[in-house]
Amino acid sequence: MKKLLLIIIVSFVIFQLFACARKEELVLKVVMGLAENEWQVMRDEIFPDFEKKHNCKIEAYQVEAADWPKKLQAMVGAGKVSVDVFSQDNMRLFALVENNLVEDLSPYKKQIPHQVMAGMKEAGVFGGRVYFFPYRPNVQITYYNRDKFRKYNLQKPKDWNELLKAAKLFKEKEGIGRVGLKLWGDGPTTVQVYEMIVSAGGKPLKFNDEGCIKTFKVLKKLYPYLSPDSKKAKWDTTNTYLANESFYLAQNWPFGINIIVREYGKKDILAYGGWRGPEREAHVIGGEVLGIPRGAKNKDLALKFILFLESREVQEKLVAALGWPSIRSDAYSEVADWQKPYFKATREALECGIYRPNVLYWGEFDKFLNEAVIRIVIKQKAVIPVLDEYHNKMQNIIRAYESRAIH
Amino acid sequence: MNPGQFIKKHKFELVLMAPLIVYIFGFTLGPVAYTIFISFQEKFTRFFPTLTNYRYILSHFQFKEAFINTLLITLISLSLELGLGLFLAVILSRRFMGRGLLRAIVLLPLGVPTIVAASNMRYIFDNQGYLNEVLYKLHFIKLPVDWTGTGMKAIWSIAVSDMWKVTPLVMLILLAGLESIHPRLFEAAKIDGASNWQIFKRITLPLLKPFITIALVIRGIDAFRLFELPLTLVGSTTPVMSTYTYFEYFQYNNPYTSAASAVMLLLMILISVTVYFKVMGQTEIAY
Repeated sequence: MKKLLLIIIVSFVIFQLFACARKEELVLKVVMGLAENEWQVMRDEIFPDFEKKHNCKIEAYQVEAADWPKKLQAMVGAGKVSVDVFSQDNMRLFALVENNLVEDLSPYKKQIPHQVMAGMKEAGVFGGRVYFFPYRPNVQITYYNRDKFRKYNLQKPKDWNELLKAAKLFKEKEGIGRVGLKLWGDGPTTVQVYEMIVSAGGKPLKFNDEGCIKTFKVLKKLYPYLSPDSKKAKWDTTNTYLANESFYLAQNWPFGINIIVREYGKKDILAYGGWRGPEREAHVIGGEVLGIPRGAKNKDLALKFILFLESREVQEKLVAALGWPSIRSDAYSEVADWQKPYFKATREALECGIYRPNVLYWGEFDKFLNEAVIRIVIKQKAVIPVLDEYHNKMQNIIRAYESRAIH
Repeated sequence: MNPGQFIKKHKFELVLMAPLIVYIFGFTLGPVAYTIFISFQEKFTRFFPTLTNYRYILSHFQFKEAFINTLLITLISLSLELGLGLFLAVILSRRFMGRGLLRAIVLLPLGVPTIVAASNMRYIFDNQGYLNEVLYKLHFIKLPVDWTGTGMKAIWSIAVSDMWKVTPLVMLILLAGLESIHPRLFEAAKIDGASNWQIFKRITLPLLKPFITIALVIRGIDAFRLFELPLTLVGSTTPVMSTYTYFEYFQYNNPYTSAASAVMLLLMILISVTVYFKVMGQTEIAY
């Protein structure tokens, strides 16, 4: 009996020792906001190489970009930062910097590979300091249904007039609009209208300059000829609407390539850079950057992970497996033949890439722009009075932020 | 007995109650109090108290829309749920073969998570959804109808979706009411030569009134809080109170106006709850 008791105690002690040894394994905690197919590529093709190289384990968690600032604020506020590195939408960075939630990475900026396109680095710079490293650029390309365009003898629109002409023709021939804009609201609507305003020579944050007025006038004119699904179109649903032919023409990020062509098998949906406005062609550069939370436990390993994700080897895998454009100019050698025309469209759009400003009042701007779209485009209100109203509101907000900064 | 003596006497009970008290204060009353507090706080200066956030939302066109939409959806969905619930309850209160199976089937939507129900409803109400497909095949329409676009069509889509999900609950309440009516009352009416419609109008409905009122008030409170269905079906183009509150916070990063909107919603619910308790207090279910 005594022997049995001794065996149990010894076994328990050995088990505990092993458990302690396991606990000492280096763990890198990563937060990303990815789709399921993207996680699969990360877990199967990207993470294992890093784990092997650095003898560590990666614990990755899904957090949506919209939720992350609040979660991180709670962690930093409680003094319990359990995440070492995170990816975040480059349009949602202001709250992280404003609330002092991220490490200043300026001392390490020289480690960013020189093959990373210069413009990609700008998104992570606030007030001259580098808080985020580039990792995944994004730019909207224009998808069009080749067979439908051929059927109606239409060319892919290269400017606003041709866009309006195409929208009218589809509505006339089919009785229902087939051109899609993203009018669901939030980021998808903001990005679309922002780049239209810039391409009309306007300054979006002004709201009532000539470029803004031209943009809203053309959107108002276009609205009756749009597909009714435009009101539900976001970045994810646009792929479905293109694939099920509710849209014959729509802009979206290049991740749609794999979904529309590979998953839905719609090889007749092609892509090009996009249309120009009255002044120029402009496409907002979106995408994600990587940051390290303030007070992260494994800062050194987190930095190695960031540089690993920026490496050519990883970027090539992300391009080929997920259809993501790359931050590096040398990462397109693994692209499959069928993907090449789409990446050509992506590079065309990137050539006309613009960054939106990293301002603290982006949230308010986003809201006002969305409201202006609802009132002018969907509810067909008069353009100038509504834009004047939002111009005044925006100026008040800017003044309020500036006076808070002074105090 | 002073507090010290009270604690000494009841320390065991207090220890047992502590987790519950922590839970109620930490996870319910605390967040509610904080929400009320920041609803009276100015965003930039953090000045307290101020009515700025309330002034803002009350003059905001989307808040007005959200308020009206919430009332309309509540009105339509309650009418639909009550009508269908009563119809089903009357059928299921009768004895026939397969009644148990039919009851189980009718109750199924109650077990479906609301977000799943909302996704299913998108398949039905989308432009290329089942409803348009059926109407097209039956030659009622030539082009797809945009059911979840804007205006009353969107309101009806939400109300019908809510009806699908919650009618079983209304039916259960009314069925309980029907089964509590003594059968002799119906027998006596039949002996006196009353028709089925007369029995329903003069006996069933009056005796069901307390149950109808309870169902109405409970569902009324719930309808104010509708969130997943409007969010999934119509997004920000047709806001309701809860989605307006959500968008202010999560989309536009403004917890202060979001809190003000949440407090307004809380007020609406509190008024409904007060009505509920008044009704419950006055209602006597006796035959």
